Amino acid sequence: MAVVAATAGWLLRLRAAGAEGHWRRFRGVGLARGFLHPSTTVEDAAQRRQVAHFTFQPDPEPREYGQTQKMNLFQSVTSALDNSLAKDPTAVIFGEDVAFGGVFRCTVGLRDKYGKDRVFNTPLCEQGIVGFGIGIAVTGATAIAEIQFADYIFPAFDQIVNEAAKYRYRSGDLFNCGSLTIRSPWGCVGHGALYHSQSPEAFFAHCPGIKVVIPRSPFQAKGLLLSCIEDKNPCIFFEPKILYRAAAEQVPIEPYNIPLSQAEVIQEGSDVTLVAWGTQVHVIREVASMAKEKLGVSCEVIDLRTIIPWDVDTVCKSVIKTGRLLISHEAPLTGGFASEISSTVQEECFLNLEAPISRVCGYDTPFPHIFEPFYIPDKWKCYDALRKMINY
Amino acid sequence: MTLSRRAATEAWRLLGHLKETLGHPRRASWAVRSRRCRQCLCFMRKMLAAVSRVLSGASQKPASRVLVASRNFANDATFEIKKCDLHRLEEGPPVTTVLTREDGLKYYRMMQTVRRMELKADQLYKQKIIRGFCHLCDGQEACCVGLEAGINPTDHLITAYRAHGFTFTRGLSVREILAELTGRKGGCAKGKGGSMHMYAKNFYGGNGIVGAQGQIFEAYNMAALWKLPCIFICENNRYGMGTSVERAAASTDYYKRGDFIPGLRVDGMDILCVREATRFAAAYCRSGKGPILMELQTYRYHGHSMSDPGVSYRTREEIQEVRSKSDPIMLLKDRMVNSNLASVEELKEIDVEVRKEIEDAAQFATADPEPPLEELGYHIYSSDPPFEVRGANQWIKFKSVS
Repeated sequence: MAVVAATAGWLLRLRAAGAEGHWRRFRGVGLARGFLHPSTTVEDAAQRRQVAHFTFQPDPEPREYGQTQKMNLFQSVTSALDNSLAKDPTAVIFGEDVAFGGVFRCTVGLRDKYGKDRVFNTPLCEQGIVGFGIGIAVTGATAIAEIQFADYIFPAFDQIVNEAAKYRYRSGDLFNCGSLTIRSPWGCVGHGALYHSQSPEAFFAHCPGIKVVIPRSPFQAKGLLLSCIEDKNPCIFFEPKILYRAAAEQVPIEPYNIPLSQAEVIQEGSDVTLVAWGTQVHVIREVASMAKEKLGVSCEVIDLRTIIPWDVDTVCKSVIKTGRLLISHEAPLTGGFASEISSTVQEECFLNLEAPISRVCGYDTPFPHIFEPFYIPDKWKCYDALRKMINY
Repeated sequence: MTLSRRAATEAWRLLGHLKETLGHPRRASWAVRSRRCRQCLCFMRKMLAAVSRVLSGASQKPASRVLVASRNFANDATFEIKKCDLHRLEEGPPVTTVLTREDGLKYYRMMQTVRRMELKADQLYKQKIIRGFCHLCDGQEACCVGLEAGINPTDHLITAYRAHGFTFTRGLSVREILAELTGRKGGCAKGKGGSMHMYAKNFYGGNGIVGAQGQIFEAYNMAALWKLPCIFICENNRYGMGTSVERAAASTDYYKRGDFIPGLRVDGMDILCVREATRFAAAYCRSGKGPILMELQTYRYHGHSMSDPGVSYRTREEIQEVRSKSDPIMLLKDRMVNSNLASVEELKEIDVEVRKEIEDAAQFATADPEPPLEELGYHIYSSDPPFEVRGANQWIKFKSVS
């Protein structure tokens, strides 16, 4: 009886959720349920958080790259890697567990298609993975390394910052490891806690010599990943793990490139500029529509895409137009990348600013387990900050 | 046929005659009074004067070479070398080796060049013409020259910061090395790398690596797992910066630290030992058996770097003892001279040439202009239109060209 009541309650809640148009994670396919919800008992479902903090908004189908197919984020990554390995005979993919397809299924089918010489597992040592990647990149092969979670990239930090980033500079362009790309799942996921939710892009932003790229959708991911692989500089490509299944849209099957270091203005506006990257772009898109509806404020939404070297011109041009800037990211506030954007924008556009630049970020704590819903900069916090800026 | 050659042959003949005369019991007392002997003595004095005149003119090469060529050198000689300690290996490198005269002279010249180059770098550093860090490898010449002798130029080499010797043996000239130390345009990394970052073809530096205890074991694991043809070399100079190995390592048998990787311990002050061990290790790797570890027991005369006097953690007596007993250049020289592969004068001549080469290189390194300031931002990224790099304040910008 209790079970029936609980199920009924659950279904009602589902319907209610559906009415608001929020993404329902229960609708994930097969294994996804196992990943996103560790336990599947019906009683617990009622107590668990029902919705994600964002709604994925797919972009319109791209027409200029040929035939498209509905892919989610991990499928678009697989497609990009497939295109790379087909085009470049020296390309190799390696990391922990990539051989069977990867813990997020980003490399499914590649080992069968291209052989165990080109898609192989490494031992459990991130420092070794990146060091090894630098080595084969220096000899000329295209190295695509996977770090299983961005939280685990820190043992490899020395290799990335002290070796990969500086190779070209310290050898006077004699040698370089430009054909290295490091891919890593990134960002909060709802239940990741301290070590499966971090966003370490700010640590790498402080290092000239590497490029850091974060896509917001499957279409963006494939184009940006292909650009990173072909770019002649070592690149780190962070993939928002919460979007692996949640984000699905039409993605071209053929390879295509999206240029690096170019931000995209997703929505034009005249009153406030909102800047974010990765999952947070969808949050601020929702904030923009909320602001339009409730405050009559027209927002310009910018997806930064490349963290370093970042597109200063696009952001500054936008701020000159609007006079107000709000930057949002999941990483902690102090020293997060919003501080760099804020600092540069006030240097360049001081006289154009109507209100102090607002940063809506995570708290200065380790990424919490149970407190995650309070920690992340969701749409309400962003909306509140935006309102304060408008009324400044 | 020059005068000196005739004089030389005449002198020998007359000396032979004199020996005969003096040897004879009755004639000896008459020796000086005999007209023939007075003649021969006179002639000898004149000849010796002529020869000494000739020899004193150092630039007159033909004379000395002719004198030298008249001595017959052996083409090669066989030497016994110390047996290597083995770990997980059934047999080691051979205990005898053949050294040809040509190879011997080549190794001598290379070792002497490295030695003189390091001493010149020391001098330039003390004159503050070289700044920054400078880690010298004098005392360890047998390691770099012996290693190069055992591998092919197409093999790849990578090392840590004590790299000047390896940079030279891998093919860069002394000029380029010294200019890189002084941070000038003519340096091998255009003056931007300095002492620790020198690169050449098939030589990946020159790396300012520190604290790699964990990384080395990860590398051993990967190399053994995938059977990579890699020789791991430990130049054990008995000190890690200022700490002796006994105080720093739980096990000082570094050749065994590869655990599942076979290893050998080699006398790193004997160039022939290093060469044979390297040949053995290279053959092992090339046959597809996987990685191998080589520990070279060597010594450095200088401190860890130029800021370290080198005597606060070891005694001067210890340094002197090694210098007098196991100096690699001295060992090679003694071997070659004792086996008639070369003469002392010939080796001295090489010393003189090397000294001149180093002087010229130091001159070039001091006089070459520094790279221009615009190059500060170059080669950070590979970028097709050059892009701007911000400087210390918002009005300073550099262009990054690559």
